[in-house]
Amino acid sequence: MMTIFRCQDSFEGILSGVYDAWSSRLGHENVKLEVEAEETPELFAEYIEVPPDEEKAKKVIISVQNKISKEAYDMIFKASLSYEKERPDRIYRFLVDGFRYGRKITQMLKEDSVFHIFALDRNVSNEAHLLLGFVRFSQTGDGILVSKITPKNNVLPLIAPHFADRLSGEDWMIYDVKRKRAALHQKNKGWILADLNAEQGNMALAMADEKDMFQELWKVFFQTIAIKERINPRCQRTHLPIRYRGNMLEFPGNN
Amino acid sequence: MRLEKFMEVEKKLEILSDAAKYDVACTSSGVDRKGKKGTIGNTAAAGICHSFSADGRCISLLKILFSNECVFDCKYCINRASNDVPRASFTPDEVCTLTIEFYRRNYIEGLFLSSGVLKNPDFTMDLLYQTLKKLRHEYHFHGYIHVKAIPGADPILIEKVGFLTDRMSVNLELPTSDGLKTLAPSKSRKSILTPMKQIQRGIQVNKYELALYNQTPRFVPAGQSTQMIIGATPESDYQLVSVAEALYKNYDLKRVFYSAFVAVNKDSSLPVLPGGPPLLREHRLYQADWLLRFYGFQANELLSEEKPNFNVLLDPKCDWAVRHLEVFPVEVNRADYYTLLRVPGIGVKSAQRIVSARKSARLDFADLKRLGVVLKRAHYFITCLGKMMYSTKIEENYITSHMISQDKKTVWGIEHQNSFRQLSLFDDMGLAASPTLEDHLAAVSGNM
Repeated sequence: MMTIFRCQDSFEGILSGVYDAWSSRLGHENVKLEVEAEETPELFAEYIEVPPDEEKAKKVIISVQNKISKEAYDMIFKASLSYEKERPDRIYRFLVDGFRYGRKITQMLKEDSVFHIFALDRNVSNEAHLLLGFVRFSQTGDGILVSKITPKNNVLPLIAPHFADRLSGEDWMIYDVKRKRAALHQKNKGWILADLNAEQGNMALAMADEKDMFQELWKVFFQTIAIKERINPRCQRTHLPIRYRGNMLEFPGNN
Repeated sequence: MRLEKFMEVEKKLEILSDAAKYDVACTSSGVDRKGKKGTIGNTAAAGICHSFSADGRCISLLKILFSNECVFDCKYCINRASNDVPRASFTPDEVCTLTIEFYRRNYIEGLFLSSGVLKNPDFTMDLLYQTLKKLRHEYHFHGYIHVKAIPGADPILIEKVGFLTDRMSVNLELPTSDGLKTLAPSKSRKSILTPMKQIQRGIQVNKYELALYNQTPRFVPAGQSTQMIIGATPESDYQLVSVAEALYKNYDLKRVFYSAFVAVNKDSSLPVLPGGPPLLREHRLYQADWLLRFYGFQANELLSEEKPNFNVLLDPKCDWAVRHLEVFPVEVNRADYYTLLRVPGIGVKSAQRIVSARKSARLDFADLKRLGVVLKRAHYFITCLGKMMYSTKIEENYITSHMISQDKKTVWGIEHQNSFRQLSLFDDMGLAASPTLEDHLAAVSGNM
């Protein structure tokens, strides 16, 4: 019978699941990892709830970095941010092969386990890269820069360092509306991730919707810079998918 | 900003971004620079696109002219002296404020500043210098700047600007000096190539100094680029590609951009283009440009005096492959990296993945598909473990006709961009929504 380890949806939670599933000694083919509340329960399976455990996660991280590679660690971290519900099990399968083959595992794209992690990593990294450009800040009356995003993947931990480096002298916040989580940066200090409650979330949304004159100037620029003789909405859509436009002021029709 | 002032800046922005839009380069790539306390901004080597305008081009930089007043009278240019268009000029502070405020809101990756020639080249270059100096030292802007070197400007000014900017470009405009003489009488080949050479030398010297002294300020760290207008003069593709190749080799350019001629002026010396700008030709040139820079091709492998223009129906790489069937098929599990790169349907990324994946396993066609190889093109030219995917004739006419029928839609789409748009009702329903090669390449003006 399959034993399903249910972990909390976080990097630490998933790695705790990896640790427990591995040390259960049930055999890799008899265990499966799932994230809480994303799957409907299977009938003929035993469920084990895995509480997130910092110590266990740390042990897994150290083993991955030492016995496989930093690159493999980077890949599973990004894969853990994916929106795909198979992510914990895919990470587990990758690590099973990773501990077997060592450093060269990240090149073995023919293996299913490796290809799946590669695909998750690519999807998350691509979306994070797009958002470095597509994030739009509004300025509040107090000079705070506030942005709301609705990405498919949980890219906030990947994009926040970029903005912390770029806008180090600003107070800013990027709010992930779907996950109700925000990256908060304080002028000339560091940034943190924080879960917002309903009231804070509404406040963040209101701040992200504040208007100022530079928004009007940006819209003017956006309109005039297009060459009429070359209009090509299909090409535009390929590079800037509709789902991002709702948070971008230059596309008012999609708000 | 007071309302009155805001209206004035809005008007200027409209005029001066409209006047700048025909310059294709909007890249923010080529230099990685961390942020610095007390300044605003950093740069990313890969470049970042912040939006895409209705023509599908990437918007990365605030692309504006300092002024669209111009004493030159280049026939192809909307801002030529003899045109009756609204004129405007920014002040350095207006440019700085717009850049900083757009940058803080993450609308842009930096500034692309060009200008019409106000009074004379030196006067204009000095204005650009004053603006950049202010932006860097008073507004503490640490992000990306791309600036035009004005042909004919004093080398000292160009040097001073080079230490403030990330990328500099001088537009070649037309590939031959004859073309320049007819269409841009105030510019000469010499006045364009001289600053180009100067920038190249400056970069070389600076590299040497950087190796010696760590603290040396950097000169044009993201390199220089240029732009040629396609279809305003009668040059062949072979001439264009050869000029581009020479520029990469002799001037160490980072990029050559191609800009399909848009007929904004009526002039007897300009061609009439009833079909609109030559977009397919521009597309083929970008494809060839990629082959020169990343695929190890030489211009004379792609075209020759006898065959001076690209095949309209086939992309340059397929076209080369069907004319060189003697080297195919190649065995994917053994062929070296550069041989793989020559196979249509295999790109830089998929070739790299093949080379790394085959170290631990033998690859079959299903694997190739996963690695990102476009099999519908590649299968004519490769074997996996000694077998081809289908039993296909390796014969020029047979392969050509099959590949052309696959490509027809793409080619038609580029040639009929505007009429195609009217059919986009079907497109919106998801019948043909997958991104095609031309989509990827159409953003060439901004993506890399």
